[in-house]
Amino acid sequence: MDCRNKQRPQPQDEDIMDIRLDDPEANKAAAKIQASFRGHMTRKKMKDDKPREEKQRERK
Amino acid sequence: MLPFPPIFYNPPDYKEAFGLFDRVGDSKVAYDQVADIMRALGQNPTNKTVIKILGAPTAEEMANKRLDFEGFLPMLQTVVNDPQKGSFDDYVEGLRVFDKEGNGTVMGAELRIVLQTLGEKMKEVEVDALLQGQEDENGCINYEAFVKHIMSV
Repeated sequence: MDCRNKQRPQPQDEDIMDIRLDDPEANKAAAKIQASFRGHMTRKKMKDDKPREEKQRERK
Repeated sequence: MLPFPPIFYNPPDYKEAFGLFDRVGDSKVAYDQVADIMRALGQNPTNKTVIKILGAPTAEEMANKRLDFEGFLPMLQTVVNDPQKGSFDDYVEGLRVFDKEGNGTVMGAELRIVLQTLGEKMKEVEVDALLQGQEDENGCINYEAFVKHIMSV
């Protein structure tokens, strides 16, 4: 068993389109955009669900 | 002064929106619903921001701790007043990074990978829902138009 290889950690040297996975600025920018996407999808879902919600409340 | 959100048009409706999320009937919501209520009210907080505002709750607290409207409002205000809030320009510039040809488009396939690999990773189903109908016949997305579309709802 080669203990030297075992101790060496896997380098995080993968890139996504020339952007390092651990690049803090890229991750910060990504998180900001993802937040806007999640906001949009929640609001879209509520807009689509709202008529059903109102119908349910009227039935009570 | 809170802004008028797209779906609920009057400040009193903030309470109504909050009430829609109360599934227990105690006029409160669970901590893990707070992010979605803020989104429903027109805000786009990152999950990290919400966790911070909630006081770094444990997983158990996220699921079981409950919050009333009076506790929720200052949290919402913090998000509304956040100086780091994302703007149209922020989002466009963020996507421009992936515009290899500088022609105003990004490859849908590349954007999918980015969204699932960087930042607050999204799941494949979420990304599919988000990008449905957004790619042209070449699989490209005009990101300024896309961001306008995102911000319209």
